[in-house]
Amino acid sequence: LTVGVSRTPLQKNVSLASPTKIELTCKLEENSNLKNPQVTWKRGSETISHTNKTQNSWTIQLTISDSSQLGSYSCILKGEVEVSATFHLQVPHIEGKEKPIITYEGDLAVMVCKTEYVPVAWTWYMTNGTELVAINPSSHTNKFQFKRQSANVNRLEILKLTKEDNGIYWCEAAFRLGSSKRRFELRVLSIMAPLKPFVAVVAEVVILVTTIALYEVYSKRKEK
Amino acid sequence: PAPAEAGRAPGPPDGGWGWVVVFGAFVSIGFAYAFPKGLAIFFKEIQDFFGTSYSEIAWVSSIMLATTYGAGPISSILVNRYGSRPVVMFGGLLCGVGMISAAFCTSILQLYICVGFITGFGLALNLQPSVIIIGKYFLKRRPIANGLAMAGSPVMLCTLAPLNQFLFDNFGWRGSFLILGAILLNCCVAGALFRPIGTGTAPVKTQLAEEGKDALKGKITEDGKEMSSALNVPMENKTEEEGGKDCFEKINQYLDFSLFKHRGFLIYLIGNVLMFLGFFAPIVFLAPYAKHTGIDEYSAAFLLSILAIVDMVARPTTGIVANSKWVRPRIQYFFSFAIAFNGACHLLCPLASSYTGLIVYSSFFGLAFGMVCAMLFETLMDLVGAARFTSAVGLVTIAECCTILLGPPIGGVLIDTFGDYKYMFIKCGSVMVLAGTFLFIMNYYNYRMLAKEEKERKTKEEDPKSIRTENEGRKNWNKDSTQDGPELEPLREEGEGVKKEMNGT
Repeated sequence: LTVGVSRTPLQKNVSLASPTKIELTCKLEENSNLKNPQVTWKRGSETISHTNKTQNSWTIQLTISDSSQLGSYSCILKGEVEVSATFHLQVPHIEGKEKPIITYEGDLAVMVCKTEYVPVAWTWYMTNGTELVAINPSSHTNKFQFKRQSANVNRLEILKLTKEDNGIYWCEAAFRLGSSKRRFELRVLSIMAPLKPFVAVVAEVVILVTTIALYEVYSKRKEK
Repeated sequence: PAPAEAGRAPGPPDGGWGWVVVFGAFVSIGFAYAFPKGLAIFFKEIQDFFGTSYSEIAWVSSIMLATTYGAGPISSILVNRYGSRPVVMFGGLLCGVGMISAAFCTSILQLYICVGFITGFGLALNLQPSVIIIGKYFLKRRPIANGLAMAGSPVMLCTLAPLNQFLFDNFGWRGSFLILGAILLNCCVAGALFRPIGTGTAPVKTQLAEEGKDALKGKITEDGKEMSSALNVPMENKTEEEGGKDCFEKINQYLDFSLFKHRGFLIYLIGNVLMFLGFFAPIVFLAPYAKHTGIDEYSAAFLLSILAIVDMVARPTTGIVANSKWVRPRIQYFFSFAIAFNGACHLLCPLASSYTGLIVYSSFFGLAFGMVCAMLFETLMDLVGAARFTSAVGLVTIAECCTILLGPPIGGVLIDTFGDYKYMFIKCGSVMVLAGTFLFIMNYYNYRMLAKEEKERKTKEEDPKSIRTENEGRKNWNKDSTQDGPELEPLREEGEGVKKEMNGT
């Protein structure tokens, strides 16, 4: 992995799902002001030894075997000015809906989690106060259903919604190097909620049509 | 002769209640064009909910668009029979019912039916009659009226997009569909404004018809067919000789298939069908193209907003320009120019790689798009006349239906095969430049033929040898037949150049 170093601090996110060997390289831009800088690779306060692959690039080699080795690794180039670039080694993120999911009583709610890499396991949690309670699919088959749309897409369906199902749900994807979570907010509304604006708009339509019809009758009578 | 004068149809008001009708058409046309585009916001959520693929959801949009354009002839037949007002009100009701039932759907197939067919059909019943009634209320100021009414589309889109987002964030997709159903009922309000305008009473028509039949049978070929079908009344005179063609005549009176022999109509049809192949694809792919060049989502959405705002201003402005005395007689050339300009924009788009370049492209595209849309129906009215426009618009929309549906998918295929958006822009640009050039050349030919026919007609009128009664009868018939007649009078005052339009109708 290479990052061209110029003026502004650079960041790059690297997603790792399973133990692997990885090379991180910082490369200096050709027309940069820095000439022959002093280079250090650091992780936090710890310095890592690097190798010079070419005249203007510096590399470190890492073996990531467990979650403790994930984190931020930076290369710092010191010369007349100091520039740095950081690699963030992380567990893959989960994509899902950010905004609250709005559903209705009696309807069904769907929460979909998607990741780049295939996780080892998927778990869903619901919150009970401040505690996370795992949802066991076999114990509530007519309430919760898990569906695997594909290896890296997982789906929770909650059937026969009631007001009590309001709240926060979590989707967890377990990878060999750790797990990541995503938060979903579920809001269950009653049918009355959209009905109010609906009735208001229908009333407006009826009033306008009647007014136009009456005006037409009135102006026709005026003509006669 | 007394009957002929008593039968003279009143000229279009060109104002007064007409402006109220324009407002109604603004709302109605706005919903018809903007609503399908506004629905796209809900698709991701519905796709997740039903667990379908993106293409299955996209079918909802396609079915809706196909029904809106494909049901054109049905719309025309209904307007010919019942007038604009009942059709639009029924259409509004249908849209409302469609969306309300869509709120309770439990499968994607039900969505196809409720949102796709029912709402699509309702929108078709909104679109055509709105355009038709403008032709009945305006003549002198018709381009302005058309431009203003067509401006409804971008205005509604700019209103619906944030509204849909707000509804979705607060009520989810089901609640939003329910409320949108109620909002669509406002089309009924627009329809209520479409006061029917008189086109001459039936007994006078039949009297004229008989007079005409005796005097002119055999002399007038195309002219005669134009007039008789324009009267839209069962013509007993024809059934005498052509007893076998009874059924055909009946269909003809509801939907004028003789238009296919009308030179101007055919030119318009071919040119427009070609143009629509490249018309909508760039809008569909503008935001994805912007994201492809590295622009973030909000800036990409902003490009579409610029397009809509420029479009909003361009449409009435084009209407005003098209109404001026220099452009109106040559409005077909202006239309061809607008199409070619549109094509040129697309051809130059691949050269714009930076964000500023894309902003410039969006502005010019908005301008060109607005110009073409504002004159889309005006030019058809100009070619076939307000009387036959009802049938013409139905036939044109069903023909355009195929190319409109094919345009974006072909563009999508080009993008997927080459991995580059520029081929899609080149295809759209070249198709539109071709359509523009075709229309320009063919309309030049058409104007010349019309001038020739006008000259022939004039020499016949001035010829003292021919039977005076016959020609007077014909002259009066020329003047008095429905909307065609009054069009000649106000325009004659405007000078030589305008006579070409008179012949066009």
